[in-house]
This record gives sequence, C-alpha cells and structure tokens, in this order.
Amino acid sequence: MSSETKQILTTDGIPLEVSLKKVERRNKVKAFLLVSPLLLFLLIVYISPIVGMLTNSIDDRMVTNMLPKTFTAMEKWDGQDLPSEEIFESFYKDFKILVENDQHGKLATQLNFEKNGFKSILKKLGRKMKNFEERNYKEQIMSVHERWGNVDYWRAIQRRAPAYSYSKYLKGLDMYKDENGKIVQVPEDRRIYKTLWVRTIKIAFIVTLCCFLMAYPIAHLLTTIPMKYSNLLMICVLLPFWTSLLVRTASWMILLQQQGLVNDFLVWIGLVADDSRLVMMYNKTGTYIAMTQILLPFMVLPLYSVMKTISPSLIRAGKSLGGTPFIAFWKVYFPLTIPGIGAGSLLVFILAIGYYITPELVGGASGTLISNQIAYHMKYTLDWSFASAMGLMLLTGVLAIYWIYNKIVGIDNIKLG
Amino acid sequence: MRKLSKLLLTFAFALSITSSAYAVVVASWGGAYTESQKLGYGDPAAKKLGIPVNWVDYSGGLSEVKAQKAAGAITWDIMDVYAMDTINGCDEGLFVKFDFDKDFPPAPDGTKASKDFFTSMPSKCAVGNILYSWTYGYHDEKIGSEKPKTVKDFFDTKKWPGKRGVYKSAMHNLEMALAASGTKPGKGGKKIYKKLSTDKGLKKAMDKIKALCTDPNGGCVFWSAGAKPPELLMQGEVVMTTGWNGRFFNAEVGEGAPLKQVWDAQGLDYQYMVVVKGGPNEADAMKVIAEMTSTEGLAGSAKYIAYAPWRKSSLKVIEAGEPWYKDGKTNMLSQMPTTKEHTKSYILIDAIFWADNGTEIGEKWEAMKSGL
Repeated sequence: MSSETKQILTTDGIPLEVSLKKVERRNKVKAFLLVSPLLLFLLIVYISPIVGMLTNSIDDRMVTNMLPKTFTAMEKWDGQDLPSEEIFESFYKDFKILVENDQHGKLATQLNFEKNGFKSILKKLGRKMKNFEERNYKEQIMSVHERWGNVDYWRAIQRRAPAYSYSKYLKGLDMYKDENGKIVQVPEDRRIYKTLWVRTIKIAFIVTLCCFLMAYPIAHLLTTIPMKYSNLLMICVLLPFWTSLLVRTASWMILLQQQGLVNDFLVWIGLVADDSRLVMMYNKTGTYIAMTQILLPFMVLPLYSVMKTISPSLIRAGKSLGGTPFIAFWKVYFPLTIPGIGAGSLLVFILAIGYYITPELVGGASGTLISNQIAYHMKYTLDWSFASAMGLMLLTGVLAIYWIYNKIVGIDNIKLG
Repeated sequence: MRKLSKLLLTFAFALSITSSAYAVVVASWGGAYTESQKLGYGDPAAKKLGIPVNWVDYSGGLSEVKAQKAAGAITWDIMDVYAMDTINGCDEGLFVKFDFDKDFPPAPDGTKASKDFFTSMPSKCAVGNILYSWTYGYHDEKIGSEKPKTVKDFFDTKKWPGKRGVYKSAMHNLEMALAASGTKPGKGGKKIYKKLSTDKGLKKAMDKIKALCTDPNGGCVFWSAGAKPPELLMQGEVVMTTGWNGRFFNAEVGEGAPLKQVWDAQGLDYQYMVVVKGGPNEADAMKVIAEMTSTEGLAGSAKYIAYAPWRKSSLKVIEAGEPWYKDGKTNMLSQMPTTKEHTKSYILIDAIFWADNGTEIGEKWEAMKSGL
C-alpha cells in the first residue's frame, strides 16, 4: 500500500517527512536553548550539591589515607583478640607521620565519632610518643592508656578501613555493623532516629489533614461569594503568606504561651481554670498549630484555582436530577476538585516533612522533626557526613512518597489551576 | 556630570570595601554579653589601636567557621568559644596556635601573661576571656513565699510545681542532676565527673532529668539562647530555669527585674577567645585580641556584666575602683561567680571530659529528649 502512495514533496522538492523532521529538530533545539539557562542553574545550584552530599555521606577516604600501613596489616586480623605487634608497629609509624604533619587531631575527631574516648588516648599517645624507644611498640602503646589494650577500640579502627562505607546510613536508622559483620540495632538508650522518622511522617500527615479540612471550606467560600468580598478574603489568606516565616512563628510563641493571649482569653470566658492553663507551647501541639497555619495558603491556593473552574451549574444539574445537596456535593463537586486536593496535599506534605524553623522554636523536645537533628549534627557534632546521609535519606523518602502518589492518584491528575 | 558621579560612585565603593577590609570581626554570643564585650574592651581596643572592631552573633559550635574554611571564604577573625570548642578547633587546625608570653602583654606589675591568668589554657589556641557560671534563677514575686536555696530545690516539684527551663545540651545539666541526687560537688566537683564517667552515674543523671521533664507537676522547656532564661521567667512560662549568671545579673541589676539566682553547686566555666587561622585580618586580629585580653581590657568588661575576668591583675584593678559597675553604684566583686559566698559549693566544668565524651553523651541525651 505504502509503495503505491507517491511521496509527498514540499515546494523545494524535498520529501515532506524529511522537511518536517528538520523543522521539528530545529524547534527542539530552540526550546532547549530557551530552557538551558534554567537547566544550567539547576545543575549548579541543585543537582551538584546533592551529588556532593552523596559523596560526602559515603566518603571515608580521609581515615583510610591516614592509616595506610595499619589497615594493610589489619587485613589478616580476625578482630577477636588483641592485635599483633606488627599492627601496633604499623599504627605507630602511621601516627608518627600524622603527628609530624599536625594532622592527628583530625584523626582523633573522626575516630571519636566511631567510638567514644578516642580523643584523649590519641592525644596522650601523641605526647608520649616522643619518648618511645625502638621495638616493643605494643607494650609501650598499651602503657600509655588502658584503652589501648581494649579490643573494642582496635575493632573501631578496623571499621574505618574501607574507603567508602554506608555506615552513616545505618546510623541514621539506629543500626550499626558489629564485630561479626552483622547489622544490629544500637543499644536502647541511643535509639533516636527511627522514632524521629516516624514522628516526622506522622506530624506531616496530620498537618496535611488539618490543612485540608480547613482549606477546603475557605477555598469554596472564596469561589462562591461575590467578587468584592472574595478579594478581601483572598488578601486575608495571602497577607500572612507574604509575612516572614520567622515573624509568624514568633507570633505563635506569644499567642500560645501559658500566659499568652489564647490562654488569657480561655480563662476570661471561663473555659479553663487559671491554674490549669493549656500547655500549647514547646510540645507537639505547638508544632501542629503553628505549622498548620503557616502551610495553609499552600493548600488554599491550588484548591481555589481548581474550584474556580467548576461551573456552579453542575451542582444545580446534580440537584435537579434528584440528588440531595450532600449527594450532589459528594458525587459531582468533590471528584472534580481532586486534582486540586492532590496538588495541595502533595505540596503541604513535602514541605512539612522538611520543616525546620517552626519545630525548632515551638516544638520543645517532643515536637521536633528529623530536620532538627540534621541541623544539630551540622552545627554541634560537626559530623557532616552523617548530616549528609540523613539529608539524602529524607530526599529519598520524599521521592518515594512522590512515586507512591503517582501510582495511586497519578501525577497527571494534579492541577494547579 | 555623569563622569563625576561615576567617579564618586567607584570611589565610595572602593572606600567601603577597603574600610571594611581593615575591620576585625569578632563572633560572639549576642545579647547583654556582647554588649558588655563591645563597651568593655571592644571599643576601647578599637580606639587605642585605630582598628575598627565589628561584632557578629553566633550560637556556638564550630560548624560555621568550619563551613567558612571549606568554602575558602573565612569572614571571622576572632571567636568567643566554649572550652571544648577550643580543643576541637585546635585539633582540626582551625585556630592560630599562640606563643603565649610573646603574644599577650604582661600585667602592669610585670608578671608574665601565662602566670597572670588563673589557670593554664586547655589548648594552645585559646586565651582566657572570662569566667562565667551556670546557675539557676527564679522570679522573686511569682515563686511564692518559700524561696529555693539549694540545687536539690530545682528538682523539687512538690514544693515548687511548674515547668523548669533546661539548657538544650547535656552540658551542666548532668552535673547538676548528680549534685542534686547526693553527690556533693564540694570545691570543684571532681567526684561528680568521676561518677559521670561510669555508666551507672550517667544513667542516674539522665534519669533524674527525665523524671523532671515527665513529671506532671514539672516539665522542661529547653533553651539555647542566653537571653531566653530571664525571658522565660518574666513571661511566667517556667518557674525556675538554669542560665548564665551574667544574664540573670543583667536582668536583675541592669534592668530592675525581680529575678534572683541560686549559686549552690554553680557550674563555673571558662570562656575563651581564639583567632581563626586564615581570617581576613589575622595580623590586626592578633593585636586586637592582645589588647582586649590585657589587664585593663578584661577589667573593663566587668563594668557591664558580672563575669569574672581571667587575669588576677584585672581583679586588683576592679577592687581598687569599686563601685565598678556602669551605674556607679554597684560593687562588682561581690557579684562575681568567684566570690567566697558563691563558691561554697561549685563544679568546675571539665572541658576535657566533654571534648572526649560529648558525642556519645550527646547521642544518649538526644535519644532521651526525643522520647519525651
């Protein structure tokens, strides 16, 4: 059939398909050039830091390069009894070079992350090493401090041998690799992160739900009342949105205090006794209230945009076809707003998961999220590879949620207006 | 006309960047403390040396300066740091190592700098600044008729029900918990640190704090900024709170607030200054830091806040010039953490203990906090 059809030619005599392809390619190149500044910007500002975080979280080359002879000697060590004289000697040689180059402090910090107590024994070793005599290094090093005779410390050194390791990711899930290579949970009094992950997701979910319950009526109201009032109400929604986040959080601190305005009002109308005021600050309640208010515009605006496109005659049609007002709402109106709900919920949930300032200021101890821990490790323990690992775990979690959402609701089902 | 305005613009721009390049930047804790530093020894040093001194606030820890170093754009010259940060920072090669007697001036009577300071420095990179103290305070009018007097009273939720303000990290909280559960600190608190090094002692201290925080009559509010404890007391959010003695003093004497402190088992701590290696103005920073930590410099800061200067010669200056406080009425020596009445029982915060064990204890502390 196709062999019988004559090839269609353009006025230049070139086949139409070839000409079409050329034009399409040119359009694609034009489109790419238009987008390339944005692509370059994203690559530099967004993607390369994330890749940097990834390498930071698994990179353990510093310790590997600091103790080359020790790790070579440790290859044959089974980790059960104290290391041999050969390992002690290699460690002494490696450490001597580090002390001469003033790098031993960095090794102390890294090893101290692995096991507590390394800092002081390494410092002491650095001082006493100057008076060491040849040979018998095992005996001399062990005489510096009793911890050098403890197998656990040598095992901790051996754990840092690989150049790349995923131990920080294990740590982020409250696990670690013990001496037999098995992955076990850390002791109970050091389990922080699993509870925090669960709490973060729970709080984000509840905040999203509260935002939805409050935003839906607001958006509906905004679409149904006359333009004059709708504009005024819209300003009421947008004005807090444009106010600084820190200002809003600080205002909540003043409102929710024990002697704050909300409590004073409740005592005044008699709902709450004066000496049993509600505790709404420095706990989960504070986090819920403040985060809901701060993230509300993100839910109102997509819902409003979608609801605005729904013609009111559809509801009237539903009612005229015999439906009660509720059925008309549920079967006609609600399904049409699902794209808006999807957009708003996804936005609010993903923002809430990564929130830092509000939980830090109003959350106290029980209302803090995983991002507060990431900040803690960045600022105070200076374990940046661990902070990177947790950051990447958070990113993976968010991408996973996005993927689940896509499977259930479908990403094409999102409308922002 | 356009050429002239362009010339003026470039001239003004050049002037602005060069003059700021000459200034020495000091990173400190903000609030009343930085005010006292600025007025006490910052501005006098700037005037004497002709080098402008700028102050920026930070909230502790070495992360910012480490990030600056990694980015190759260090903006701070001098930092005011905790003891364990001088140890950690020195180890990491972040700070300049001092040749003490060469870099710092002797006392007016000729005593070498290293002998004029109270004790030796924890690391080669540190110069002593002030001695401050962790105490706890309460609102005199809101606390009721009975006033708390000992460290045990902090944990007594039956007599004084209400929330307590607690520092967000474990430092000093654990020492206080042990002191309140029977380990007498005495002079220096060595017994407390011995107990804290054992698993049992650590658990006892953490359990006591956990009990306070989960007590229905109690509860904890965690603070991190130095200005927060007096604020929490004035707002009525807590009934007692730990805090830094100078901030309580400032609220009480400087601003006339009805706050009082309890000095029993106070945690004496040293504050240090360091010079950042590779800072924008290292040479001038060395001159400025020598001037700020000189005898007159350190005595000057005591005019504005109740922190004890490190140099013994500074104390003599204050004693000779009493009343020393800026209002011209208050005697400062009696307000210092180091007076006889305040040092009946005190704990000397052990920087080496915290440098060594900070990470592990920190993890357990965070785990406890997240379980609250």
